Amino acid sequence: MQGKKFIQFKILMIAINLIAVLFVTIFIYITTQKICNNFIAREFINRVDALPWKPDRNIIISICLFGILIFSFIIREFIYPNNSKVVYLSLLIDFVISIIIVCILNFNYNGILFLVIANIITYTKGNKGRYLLMAISIMSILIADYEMISINFRLYSINDYISFYDSMTQQYLLGFFNTVISINILIFIIYCIYVIQNQRGTIDEVNHLYEQLRKANEDLQKANEQLKEYSKITEKMGETRERNRLAREIHDTLGHTLTGISAGIDACLTMVDKSPEDTKKQLEVISRVTREGINEIRRSVNKLRPDALERLSLESAIHKMIIEIESMTHTHIYFESDVKNLKFASDEEDAIYRVIQESLTNAIRHGKASQIWVHIKGGQGEIILTVKDDGIGCKDMKMGFGTRHIIERIKMLNGTVEFDGTDGFTVTAKIPIRWGEEYD
Amino acid sequence: MMKTKYIIVTIALLVLVAVCAGAYINTNSRTIVLEFGMFAGSNWDVANANSYVIIDKAIERFEKEHKNVKIHYYSGILKDDYSEWFSKQVLLGKTPDVFMILSNDFNQFAELGILKNLDELVNNDKSFDKDKYFQTALLSGEYHGTQYALPYETVPTLMFVNKTLLEKEGINVPRSDWTWDDLYDICEKVTKDINGDGIIDQFGIYNYDWLDAARTNGAVLFDENEMKIDLSNEKVIEAVKFIKSLYALNREQNVTQEDFDSGNVVFMPLSFADYRTYKTYPYKIKKYLNFQWDCITFPAGKDGGNISEVNTLLMGISSKTAHEELAWEFLKLLTYDEEIQMDIFRYSQGASVLKNVTSSMEAELILQEDIEESEKVIDNLLLSRVIEEGTVAPKILKYNEAITIANGGIQEIIRYDKNVDSSLKILERKINQFLKQ
Repeated sequence: MQGKKFIQFKILMIAINLIAVLFVTIFIYITTQKICNNFIAREFINRVDALPWKPDRNIIISICLFGILIFSFIIREFIYPNNSKVVYLSLLIDFVISIIIVCILNFNYNGILFLVIANIITYTKGNKGRYLLMAISIMSILIADYEMISINFRLYSINDYISFYDSMTQQYLLGFFNTVISINILIFIIYCIYVIQNQRGTIDEVNHLYEQLRKANEDLQKANEQLKEYSKITEKMGETRERNRLAREIHDTLGHTLTGISAGIDACLTMVDKSPEDTKKQLEVISRVTREGINEIRRSVNKLRPDALERLSLESAIHKMIIEIESMTHTHIYFESDVKNLKFASDEEDAIYRVIQESLTNAIRHGKASQIWVHIKGGQGEIILTVKDDGIGCKDMKMGFGTRHIIERIKMLNGTVEFDGTDGFTVTAKIPIRWGEEYD
Repeated sequence: MMKTKYIIVTIALLVLVAVCAGAYINTNSRTIVLEFGMFAGSNWDVANANSYVIIDKAIERFEKEHKNVKIHYYSGILKDDYSEWFSKQVLLGKTPDVFMILSNDFNQFAELGILKNLDELVNNDKSFDKDKYFQTALLSGEYHGTQYALPYETVPTLMFVNKTLLEKEGINVPRSDWTWDDLYDICEKVTKDINGDGIIDQFGIYNYDWLDAARTNGAVLFDENEMKIDLSNEKVIEAVKFIKSLYALNREQNVTQEDFDSGNVVFMPLSFADYRTYKTYPYKIKKYLNFQWDCITFPAGKDGGNISEVNTLLMGISSKTAHEELAWEFLKLLTYDEEIQMDIFRYSQGASVLKNVTSSMEAELILQEDIEESEKVIDNLLLSRVIEEGTVAPKILKYNEAITIANGGIQEIIRYDKNVDSSLKILERKINQFLKQ
């Protein structure tokens, strides 16, 4: 949208041009009447190079053409200011009408073309078309000059008509006409300066906003890096906390029991020669304490179990984990088990659970897998667990923390683990199962 | 909001279309009025009571052939006022569609683009053969190679001979192929003091000037393309010298119109219009009563022929006419129709511009009608020859002014007995400077 000042400038320019055009046509008409009334028509014809076709009709035609100019101005400024097709069409109409007016005036006044340029400057936004239109209009101003055209064409000159009057009046008339021309050019220049200033203001604003955006982006990047740092620290802190818990647990249970056992055995050593009976009693106590210690350790280990396993069965825990991972990533995980009842000793369940968890994590994080197959197969005193994915695999495998963890866990249960990174990534773990009488 | 905009724009467009349509219908339903610009009286400055007769007849015929056309003219504009009246119409944008053009105006009007270029109309009209015109007449309407006007009436200049005076001096009327030497001999013989008062009172020739002589010596005075006068040409120098020798015969005595009217001068250039006017009733009782007279050709110089200037009244079409076809038809009717052209012999003083008409028996009969039986009418074939071979004024914008300067300068050379060759060179430079301005 244009500012109010733009429109005021344009209205002023239209008014000045209307005055100039009417001055030329009406002045010629009045002077013609005077020449005829003074009976010097023949003499006048001898002096001129050309004559206006019909002085009275020129007035009417130029007023009509100006009416069209104003109509196109109103449509452009007030009715369809945002429809670029209408704006361009109206600019074209303006240009054609202006050229016609300049021709009717026989190039005695071409200032109306400045009006066209002013509109082109405002309405065409910096593209090739703008420069083309500008070039055409400026060329027309240069070409549509009376002195230039009159070399090759016969044109009537307002000066011939002005020279009809006495020298004093001539000076006034020429002065008035030249002032009108100058005012028109002056307004055009002021208008151009105004437009340029306005555009420079806009550019400054854009630059300022861009600077702000750049800063914000930088800050965001920094914050992002900090956040990553924090998450690493948090992870480490969790690890430390876990270790501390383990240490405390070991200290509280195992330490306590072992200390008791060690003290009891020391007492037995001193007593065994003097009183075998008392020693026996003492050993019975140590045995009880040891059994109690084992129970205590069992309880402690139970406390370290994964949350899900603590509350749910292995199968439900695995399902829950899969659902959680699927909901967090876009990976499809297929779980299949041909063991009827997935119920093992808690350390075995732990291992199975942890191996699956670790393998899924690796498949997603390193393998970028979209599909993962988890399969548990029961056999002679052992189960075979395979986790296979369709990810990028890996030819030269490096032992990470996760894989080492898997290996350790399985070793503790006297099992074996194989990794294969040729077609996706496959983890195959063979775990011996103590099918005890209590697990039926 | 959008609806209001739409309605405003639609209404504005509808109003525009309605205005245009109204204007179109208005112009189409009216009868066409063709403006004709003419002056009253004769173009040849002789009395003429019948100036509207030919035009009225032509208009009547034209309106009969074209039912929806009316031809309008302003009557009562005299020849002296016509140029100003016409210029006024041009300035006001009311240029008539078809109009008469005075010879003084033709160059200026053609230059200004007031006159329509007729070349296309002439070439496209199959029923029109421009060779039917006298070549000189057609040439009068040409400006820098373009036909801007058609001739309507033409008047050659003839040499008036006082037959009574020649008879008295025992000299025969010269033949039509006579020369400068013949003229000089006769002038030498007749120039004398009759009443014995020591002052010469009988002269050979009056009003014959260097231009007449130069024409008959084959001189081309103006270069129309270069806008230059050529006075240092040998033919012009001979002509000026010849005029000077004729002047010398009079021994500084001025010959006047009065001398001629009272029958004391043998020769005088006279337009064909004057000839017709003063040969016929009623004007013949006004002038040249006490002697018998006739007209012959101009004497030929060494390098030229028996030719003289031909004046032609031209008619043209406005370059801005809205009815080109009709204007052309009307112009053709006036200048090309044999019946209308024959009326020039009946009602005007000039001759027809059509060869067929001027050389016809009917034209000769019309001329003979008014002339006394004892007098011999001008030979039609001689008339045709004089018109066809004559010269027309050059198409130079400042022709009249240039000739005025030349006349003044040459009169001075003759009066004050200056050296002809060098004076003409100086004069030539002076006029060329004026033409270049």
